[in-house]
Amino acid sequence: MHAEPHTGQPESVAARPLAELLDCPPETAKLLNHSAESVSCEAGQIVFAQDAECKGLYVVVSGQLVRRSERMGAHLTLGPVRAGELVELAAALGGVHHSYTLRAVTPTTLLLLPKPALAQAFDSYPPLRMQLLEELAREVSRAYIASTVERKMPLRRNPGEAHSA
Amino acid sequence: MAGFQSHHAPEDCINCEHRHLRMFCNLTPEALVDYDKIGMLMNHARGAKLFTEGDQARSVFVICEGQVKISATSREGKTMILKIAGPGDVMGLSAVLANVSHEVTAEAIEPCQVKTIRKQEFVDFLGRHGIASMHAAQSLSGEYLTVFHDAKRLALSGSAAGRLARLLLDWGSAAAPGKPETRFTMALTHEEIANMAGTSRETVTRLLNQFRRDQLIAIKGASMTIVKPDALERMTA
Repeated sequence: MHAEPHTGQPESVAARPLAELLDCPPETAKLLNHSAESVSCEAGQIVFAQDAECKGLYVVVSGQLVRRSERMGAHLTLGPVRAGELVELAAALGGVHHSYTLRAVTPTTLLLLPKPALAQAFDSYPPLRMQLLEELAREVSRAYIASTVERKMPLRRNPGEAHSA
Repeated sequence: MAGFQSHHAPEDCINCEHRHLRMFCNLTPEALVDYDKIGMLMNHARGAKLFTEGDQARSVFVICEGQVKISATSREGKTMILKIAGPGDVMGLSAVLANVSHEVTAEAIEPCQVKTIRKQEFVDFLGRHGIASMHAAQSLSGEYLTVFHDAKRLALSGSAAGRLARLLLDWGSAAAPGKPETRFTMALTHEEIANMAGTSRETVTRLLNQFRRDQLIAIKGASMTIVKPDALERMTA
């Protein structure tokens, strides 16, 4: 393989401002505003759990949260989430279940845009779906960069490594 | 991953008998007619690179037949295999929609038939057909999960045996979802499997022999059968 080592594209795939992502005509904005549900969490509280059904798209209004992936008692911290960020575009736009657990680190307020309201908004203003789809694409790109840049595990281990069956 | 039966893909998607099984291609008749107009079916030989990491993203690629290795290069210059993509998988989607260069390299590991759609035509197509943009969102969600899943497999499985078991189970479930006994074609070398499992080629060879002796798997040529998925699953804990 002759590709240059991954240098990342942090600027071009940076998350766009919320106002830009949710930019839509007044009637669509009104529809989303009316259906938005406020969610408040204390520090340590779980907003949603991995594999639980996704109810919609979350917007962090205030506070700080952390994404955690879990499997059989072990967990992996995937990174922080801060005010102004959209959470779970992947599950809200294309999936059914949450791919990670979101836990509040500080007292937090979020807005939940329920999936049915999002679907209505996409019908009334189709470019909104493309705006969010492009942001999801940037999120996937960021995940690729994080996975290749931050993967510290040695790719070759001791051949004598124990078989832990 | 593997285990996809070899069928020659028809020239047009509307007559493709597999499209109902493939998430992205399962479009409305109107969208399919449009999709056929903008897409070009191309054959690629084993070893052909569809795109290389860092290249400008000019097209989206949908696999009709065959398997494609998706890899990326770490900052240290090591090549890491992220996924083996198969029929129905969409490649280059995140780079095209995010308007950035390809994050990964896609290389055919067997002869492939791939539908290629130019960037702007694909973006316009998504704008014209809501169902296509929904399917694109599902593809991106799947891609997002793949990246997470890869990180989880490496980080949360303490042993090489656990990581290899997880990899085999993932490939098995992709090849035959829901079936108790799964069979698939192992298209990767032990070195490449080692790369995905975060271990050495020697360990992969030793563990596969061990799994076979313990009758957890059966290997016949390039065909692998998972005989005891529960036992492999326990190993991943």
